[in-house]
Amino acid sequence: MKNLTLTIGWLYPELMSTYGDRGNIIAYQKRCLWRGIHIEVLKLNQGFDVNLLNLCDFLFMGGAQDEQQQIVAQDLIRKRNLLKQKIEEGIPGLYICGAYQFLGKYYKEADGTIIKGLGILDLHTENPGLNSSRLIGNILMSTAKGMKMVGFENHGGRTYLGKNVKPLGTVIEGFGNNGKDTTEGVIYKNCFGTYLHGPILPKNPEFTDLLIKLTLENKYKLTVNFHTLEDSLEKKAYNAIAKRLKVKL
Amino acid sequence: MDLFLILTGKIFSKISQAFNFGSGSTWPGHIALSINKNFIKDFLKKSKTRIIFVAGTNGKTTTGKLIQTILENNGKKVFQNTAGANLLNGIASSLIFNSDLVGKINQDFAIFEIDENTLPLILIEIPGPDFIVILNLFRDQLDRYGEVNTIAKKWKDALKHLDGKTTLILNADDPQVALLGEKLKAKVLYFGIDPTGNENDKFQHASDSTYCPNCKTKLTYSSVYFSHLGNWNCQNCNYGHPKKVFTESPLYPLAGIYNEYNINAAVLLAKNLRLSDERISSALKNFKPAFGRQEILTVNSKQVQIFLSKNPTGLNESLKTIVDLKAENLLLVLNDRIPDGRDVSWIWDVDFENYATVFKNIMISGDRVFDMGLRLKYAGFKNFRTEENLTKAVNIALEKTAKNEILYILPTYSAMLEVRKILTGKKIL
Repeated sequence: MKNLTLTIGWLYPELMSTYGDRGNIIAYQKRCLWRGIHIEVLKLNQGFDVNLLNLCDFLFMGGAQDEQQQIVAQDLIRKRNLLKQKIEEGIPGLYICGAYQFLGKYYKEADGTIIKGLGILDLHTENPGLNSSRLIGNILMSTAKGMKMVGFENHGGRTYLGKNVKPLGTVIEGFGNNGKDTTEGVIYKNCFGTYLHGPILPKNPEFTDLLIKLTLENKYKLTVNFHTLEDSLEKKAYNAIAKRLKVKL
Repeated sequence: MDLFLILTGKIFSKISQAFNFGSGSTWPGHIALSINKNFIKDFLKKSKTRIIFVAGTNGKTTTGKLIQTILENNGKKVFQNTAGANLLNGIASSLIFNSDLVGKINQDFAIFEIDENTLPLILIEIPGPDFIVILNLFRDQLDRYGEVNTIAKKWKDALKHLDGKTTLILNADDPQVALLGEKLKAKVLYFGIDPTGNENDKFQHASDSTYCPNCKTKLTYSSVYFSHLGNWNCQNCNYGHPKKVFTESPLYPLAGIYNEYNINAAVLLAKNLRLSDERISSALKNFKPAFGRQEILTVNSKQVQIFLSKNPTGLNESLKTIVDLKAENLLLVLNDRIPDGRDVSWIWDVDFENYATVFKNIMISGDRVFDMGLRLKYAGFKNFRTEENLTKAVNIALEKTAKNEILYILPTYSAMLEVRKILTGKKIL
């Protein structure tokens, strides 16, 4: 593959980057480089020019602390329309934890206060209050395409999916979206939301490759067949967690 | 009643030591507190011992030990709640261990390490300590302690109730910690470091508080030392770096910028007790690091130095310090037990990319050895070995280390305890 260049739009790297989520950027970038695909990373910080979204082929946004999330919310709500248009047009993207919740319709706090979301995805999140514990721990799930994924979740909010979206995976061990319906994350067109830290991409190379493929296909309108990379450490890391969670390999 | 609790606690701890149960150190306190929840308060009412709290994400144990060394070398009797058991139970236990049978402490000073969540709680139990040293606030085990901003808010609320009897010793270079000193009745003193030679041109990735804790505007830094520590100010609300800051210890017995902070904090406290530079300096010459904190061990006639590294800022600073010391042999040990934090995502916030070709021999181990392996792989490291069995990993790493070289071990907390046990054959907890 010659002269392929992808631009990652990294939304709010300074504010939405609390849980090692830059590992996702590193993994996406490295796996492209190892295949000769050139990568540019566009850091979209607070107050960025909304038109920069038009230069991006892939969007990424990580999780953050509540207070930092509020700063981001004020900025992003003004850029909502173009972001929605891009997602509807099929721009591939990965949104973790707080970013995932924010794409939904609303977040209902423990005291009943409703915080409006971007309303781009058909989902909402509720915090059941101080008497319910945060959902914390290692998680293992399978996706519709038979991919197994691992990560670490740590969230107070419970997310419920609407009819217009599909879950990213089914929980095998762990909590997932809400600890009840065994769904985890969301897929809408080429847009993926998830609670998985870990970070998710270095630990789940198959998923990373899928995102890269979608990005190439969406940008260059071509069918991509990747040669496999050496992923033995990734497999060992997966196996170690699967073994600990007593999930059959 | 409390006398009975003290006696029972002492007996328990003897039994525990005699049978080598290991972690006997907090249950006498646990028992005492469950029978009398005011045990700590009641106990200290009767005592003349001056109380020092040391709080912050990184450097508590080292700073506590520095203060202890300075005071003891100047003829004071001091006890510290060591053993990493820095919760209420640990404090109650250390009161029990350090009192005589009639429940009196014959010590001049008590130094308590206070972890992030405990500071507000302990200020209810011990409302007027003589000193509170607050070192820094970095992101640490998010699954356990929660987020940095939440902690800062809880601290601020707890400190409001202090009166003029308490002296706060705060890090001027950490915006969130410095803000804690605003509008208090307590006396406030600031420490920092001498900026000469310590300036960095850019932020490390693991920076937390680059937004004004007062008005949420992005802070301006005229220089950054590490993480979010530096000479900062807010151009929106005019909140800024304190003016009068102590930065010059007469002696620095430990390497690393982070230790300059720890040392300056301890020395500022000592100076406030009217100890002279000469007395402080000669005391610091006798300083021996706390276990696992730059502690040097000799094993099979080879030198090993352990740098406890339990969060992104800690690991960044350990790496920077050992590279300055021209390290060639490195053993990284990553565990994910409760004291380490169960989420290992944080290793991706460490700037490993800067060190991909620096070390000659790299061994990695621990519960999450392959996660660490992935981190190094994606940072561009080529020549590292993974070994799940920690004893084997330690032995191979030692073999690879030449006679005149040092093996640097960077473990998380529980990994540090395991490594020490392997190297010394002894358990410390």
